[in-house]
Amino acid sequence: MPFTAHDLRYNLQENFPKLCAYLQQRAKHWLGTFAYDSDEVDGVVEHIIEQLTRLGLLGGGNHTPETALDHLNNAQFYAFLNRSVKNKAIDRLRRHRLPTSSLSAFEDPRNIEEENDPLNTVTDSIWGSPPFPSPESAALQAASQEALRILIKHCIEELSSAPRQLLAVIQELDEMGIEDLVQELKDTYHTQLADMELSHLSQHKDHAHKKLRHCLQHSSTNLAVLVSLRLTEYGHYSTDIDEISVDIKTLVDERISAAEVLKGLNHLARVGLLDWHGEENIRLTSVQLKHLARFYEEGE
Amino acid sequence: MNKHNNGLSDIRNEYLPLAQWLQNILTTTPQLPQAELATNKENVSQFGDEYHVSYYRQLPDFAHALLNNATQEDIIRFGPLVFHLIGCPSCHLAYLEIYDAMHSTIGLEEEHTSTSPLPESIATTSTRVLVFMCQLLINQAAEVLRDARYEYSENDAWARSLLQQAIYLSRHLMQSTQRQRALQDLVKVASFFEDSTTPSAHSYLPVISTGSGSRQGKIRRRADTLGRSDGQTAIYLQSGLSKYEGSITQNQDILELHLEDLGQELRGQFLIISIPFGSLLEPVRWIGGNPRAIRSQVPVGEDGSLATPLGSTDLQLSNPEDHNLLEATFTKLDIRPAD
Repeated sequence: MPFTAHDLRYNLQENFPKLCAYLQQRAKHWLGTFAYDSDEVDGVVEHIIEQLTRLGLLGGGNHTPETALDHLNNAQFYAFLNRSVKNKAIDRLRRHRLPTSSLSAFEDPRNIEEENDPLNTVTDSIWGSPPFPSPESAALQAASQEALRILIKHCIEELSSAPRQLLAVIQELDEMGIEDLVQELKDTYHTQLADMELSHLSQHKDHAHKKLRHCLQHSSTNLAVLVSLRLTEYGHYSTDIDEISVDIKTLVDERISAAEVLKGLNHLARVGLLDWHGEENIRLTSVQLKHLARFYEEGE
Repeated sequence: MNKHNNGLSDIRNEYLPLAQWLQNILTTTPQLPQAELATNKENVSQFGDEYHVSYYRQLPDFAHALLNNATQEDIIRFGPLVFHLIGCPSCHLAYLEIYDAMHSTIGLEEEHTSTSPLPESIATTSTRVLVFMCQLLINQAAEVLRDARYEYSENDAWARSLLQQAIYLSRHLMQSTQRQRALQDLVKVASFFEDSTTPSAHSYLPVISTGSGSRQGKIRRRADTLGRSDGQTAIYLQSGLSKYEGSITQNQDILELHLEDLGQELRGQFLIISIPFGSLLEPVRWIGGNPRAIRSQVPVGEDGSLATPLGSTDLQLSNPEDHNLLEATFTKLDIRPAD
């Protein structure tokens, strides 16, 4: 009797041997010449069970929310597992192939059983085709949202008190071909920009980018972004060591409560921007401060 | 399901360059690149370092949404995840893997399922994989408890469930060294369950008797170093560097604790015995109902010894799998004076 995603979630003890047997069987299939190397086979199996555990499926019961994996039919779930095994096996084979290319049998193509070599089945990117070949492309779509564009425009307008910086950004946008926004900004600020010439362009651009980042953070309703912004604003520099300290209490005001500050700090610690474990006094390096100044994410 | 390209080209509109520009300004990569997950390590003790549980769990839904013609609402919903993926190499790699594997499921109907018969006995499972799974579950529990502590939330039930599953899986490991490796982080996790307001007088860990020793008679060593003969009917305990010793024995269905050489300050006193993982094992009915506060039935004797029942169970110490379960339950045992 085959196992299902539901079985793995609610009855791991009974179904773990079946899962391992299936993964092992597929790993041997895809590992080709390494099918009898138990370290390689176990390595692939471990990778998949680690992934399924992290996703909250293995033994998750009612404690973890169901995901799209729970809603796949059995054929789809097995296809998911098989493909995951195949990708990891190919990854392992690639690692073997690289360092042995000059000495081993891999150098001689006649020694490879071509029809059994999983690498030969990879014709394109193993990560599939569009719509989103990488998260970056999805991010770009997210950033293309109209609301975000309005926010960017607002932040660019904040530069109007520094016309050279505003002009530097307009020029940058112009070079990118964002004509409608450029025209809109030029029309609005034509008096400030009249007869202005730019020298030290990169310097003005750097200052403008810094202000834009600050404006984006300040406009955000995302708790972690707000806390991040405050950390960059309220830090005290120590002159003898490369360290900035911030008292948690200084981050609290009518806009953010103490509990929200803690929540925001926890989030920043989790994403690796802070090395903080609940101390009253937060210590930052200048590198961390720089990353915090650039931190931005969408959502509440 | 495979209509995922439709409608997207118009979203990738004239603002794409603007978005690229924004990305250049905002992108930050605080973590060092680390493309591999924690596989093929000796153990998974460092599991938590690059693990961003709340983001990771969204990956299947995110991939599914992308493959099913993601809506504007989807993109907004997954916005924080997207920005996280840009800065986190580990989650980024997992996203790519999961996206591709989800892609392979498109259009498959139920009737395509066919697998050859799979073994149901855990005896066919690789020992290395079994050890790895136990470590994963324990580390996952530690992560859950750590998160709960930071967020002032309550996730004990989930963590306990994970630990319980690790302990039940580990009972199939008959080699003590393997079992010790599988459960090596249990003691660390126990600290999350400890009551810091009432420190213990002594903490005991299980040791394994190896019968006659070659030099000084009977030698007892920590469970991570030596094997155990079958049919052993006691779990030996040790506190510190052999200064205090004890054992758990079974009299019919009653589990009894025996301690020796307890200090003067404890003699004549009743003790509170705490077994942090006692509640994980349902088949044991602990005296008083709370394994973290079992009151000894008698005071410590004038000679520093104590023998007191802990609870009853249908498990049998003479059965190797039951023995392993109980040994894991007694991974840590603390005592303190009752008053």
